[in-house]
Amino acid sequence: MTGTKEKTTGRTARFWAGLLLGTLGAIAGLALSGAIDADTALVLMLVPVIQTIPLMRAAGRHRDGTAGGLCGKGEAQKRYTKRVALFTALYLLSFGILTFATTEGDPAFALRSVLAVLPGLAVIGIFWAVGRLIIEEQDEFIRMLVVRQSLIATGIALSAATVWGFLETADVVPHLDAYWVAVAWFLGLFAGAVSNRIEYGSWGAV
Amino acid sequence: MKNRLKVLRAERDWSQQALADRLEVSRQSVNAIETGRYDPSLPLAFRIADVFGMPIEAIFLRD
Repeated sequence: MTGTKEKTTGRTARFWAGLLLGTLGAIAGLALSGAIDADTALVLMLVPVIQTIPLMRAAGRHRDGTAGGLCGKGEAQKRYTKRVALFTALYLLSFGILTFATTEGDPAFALRSVLAVLPGLAVIGIFWAVGRLIIEEQDEFIRMLVVRQSLIATGIALSAATVWGFLETADVVPHLDAYWVAVAWFLGLFAGAVSNRIEYGSWGAV
Repeated sequence: MKNRLKVLRAERDWSQQALADRLEVSRQSVNAIETGRYDPSLPLAFRIADVFGMPIEAIFLRD
């Protein structure tokens, strides 16, 4: 664990930002070329989401000039990171089981329903972790940044879903499963962090 | 809202991190307050006043 942290803290924010953009580009390229299907793209989209964590940490270190966490303080942020890691692992596991069960067999309706709900519950866990961070964060400035970041993400996700829905009704764009709204929300968190950096000089904690 | 945080901190030869530790907040918070990007809540403003041993109105000024 310590070794991993040391390895993570050695990279610069520029490295992680480049890696994140490269990953996004690679996934988009694979998806658009038809090399991977939508399900695979969805699973792979978790990689850039996770990459935002070391990116924020590296950016925070760069600003602090210290080897601390995102914002120097941070028991609440440490708990948040652990919770997100846990629910991300549960998501990957449950989504893998669902994909395997539906492609390799034909489970009964009840079992299929339960398996289909589990990945959604894991993603809800990540939403819950963000909510707990807002409650538990003792630093009012950092808490404000997280709230601001979440509101920006929510605005982006709801706006994207609304516009896409009407475009879909008019047969302008293909159908997208509703869970892409959650993906848009996570990407919105990144936009929120960038907005925080520009407006307040700090990325925030998510 | 303007404030004299940077001057008061410099007079005591405190770094932003040192002041942040005394206030039990992040260094980013001190930086955001100092640069006028963020106005602290009343409880935090009282804590800042206590740390410097001055009344709030001697630290925070009207625009």
